[in-house]
Amino acid sequence: MHELRPNGQRRRANLATYAVAFAVLTVAGGCKTSADAAAAATQLTLTASSLTGYYTALDTLLTETDQLYQIQGAINTVTPYDAQTKALVADTKAEIETREKLAAALTQLAQEYAKLSGSTASADAETDAGNLESALAGLKQTKVSMSASSVNLMKDAVGEIVTAIKERKEREASAAIDKFTAALDSWFKNEEPYYNTIGANYAGLTRSLAHTLVNKGQVDSSSFFNVALSPYGLTAQLTDPTLKAGIDTVIAGQIDQKAAALQTAQAGASTSMEKALAEMASRIHLVATDKPMAIRAAPVTLAEVQNWISLVPQIAGTASTATGSASSSSK
Amino acid sequence: MQEPLNQLENTYFTLQGQIDMFSAACQTQDQRNALTTQYVQARANYWACVNKAFHDDDPQVASLTSQIAAANTALAGDVAQMGEITKVLADITNVVTIGTQLAAKVIGA
Repeated sequence: MHELRPNGQRRRANLATYAVAFAVLTVAGGCKTSADAAAAATQLTLTASSLTGYYTALDTLLTETDQLYQIQGAINTVTPYDAQTKALVADTKAEIETREKLAAALTQLAQEYAKLSGSTASADAETDAGNLESALAGLKQTKVSMSASSVNLMKDAVGEIVTAIKERKEREASAAIDKFTAALDSWFKNEEPYYNTIGANYAGLTRSLAHTLVNKGQVDSSSFFNVALSPYGLTAQLTDPTLKAGIDTVIAGQIDQKAAALQTAQAGASTSMEKALAEMASRIHLVATDKPMAIRAAPVTLAEVQNWISLVPQIAGTASTATGSASSSSK
Repeated sequence: MQEPLNQLENTYFTLQGQIDMFSAACQTQDQRNALTTQYVQARANYWACVNKAFHDDDPQVASLTSQIAAANTALAGDVAQMGEITKVLADITNVVTIGTQLAAKVIGA
């Protein structure tokens, strides 16, 4: 019927229709973006929290390494724990602790990320962004030359995050977080082999010490028989040297297998952590570029990282009670 | 991992893993002292280069990396078939000496 209306009336009707359609699209789009931003914030929080746990576990392995070198020096005069190595281990530990602080600061900021989509950004977000900036400043460029460009990208991005939050510019903040997470993934990928050598050294060192103690006859292998005797409430009491030698051979094989499993678990956690960072970065990118985020669950590979993180305190016997361990200047 | 650190890791991990065998093979205190010196240096070379970088385009780094790779192969041969301890100690000293020169090339050393 509108064809019967005069031109001016038709134009007004079209404008009203467009206005309503625009409002619906804007509101619908805003809801979708807010929901996606909230989901991205949750994923970023979980991933950053796992990254913190990953570095804490590596830190524990370095504390253990310091203890293991002391033990090795005590039981074998050929392998003394010299001051230079002790200082180098402490230096590496300090570097890992710097990364731990960075991941913790990112976790705090991620918790505020969802609030950026609101009309007013939380004052906490500004503080958290500042903390992340401070944590990044702690990274020594000379120690991470391999990934210096990623560090610079992260520093630039955090500068943009701080500015955007201060000016309450949600879109700019999201874009800057997008840049940061992409650079973080690239940085982790560059450093992953160095994290893995820490895990490999720990596995090799414990393996070497275990073999030494078994070879010297200083290991009580009675628990080895628990599988056969515990149903009867009995405990083995090995007195036959031939039998003991045979068992020691089996134990030596098990030590090798366990050491290989420890190394594989740590390297697997690194791979899973990198995959989770990449997945998180791609999802943040979707939100930052106003694209729908199809998957809102946490990156699946985080479960393997969490498994390894929970394993480390179980295998680390001395970390929580260690005295005279390698200290670092960062704590 | 950059190949230079990979080779330094190889040297140190081999010595760490076989230290009991090498130690048992030593017949004199001088030999044990030599083994101690080389083991401690190999371990320090490794830790000095963890999470540090080398200049990939440095010809000296490339040359030392090739040399240490060959020396590591010789050391692996000693582990597979333990011979005279004097020869083994010479091979260990050779690989660790190259490793020390390589570690000195790390950026920031």
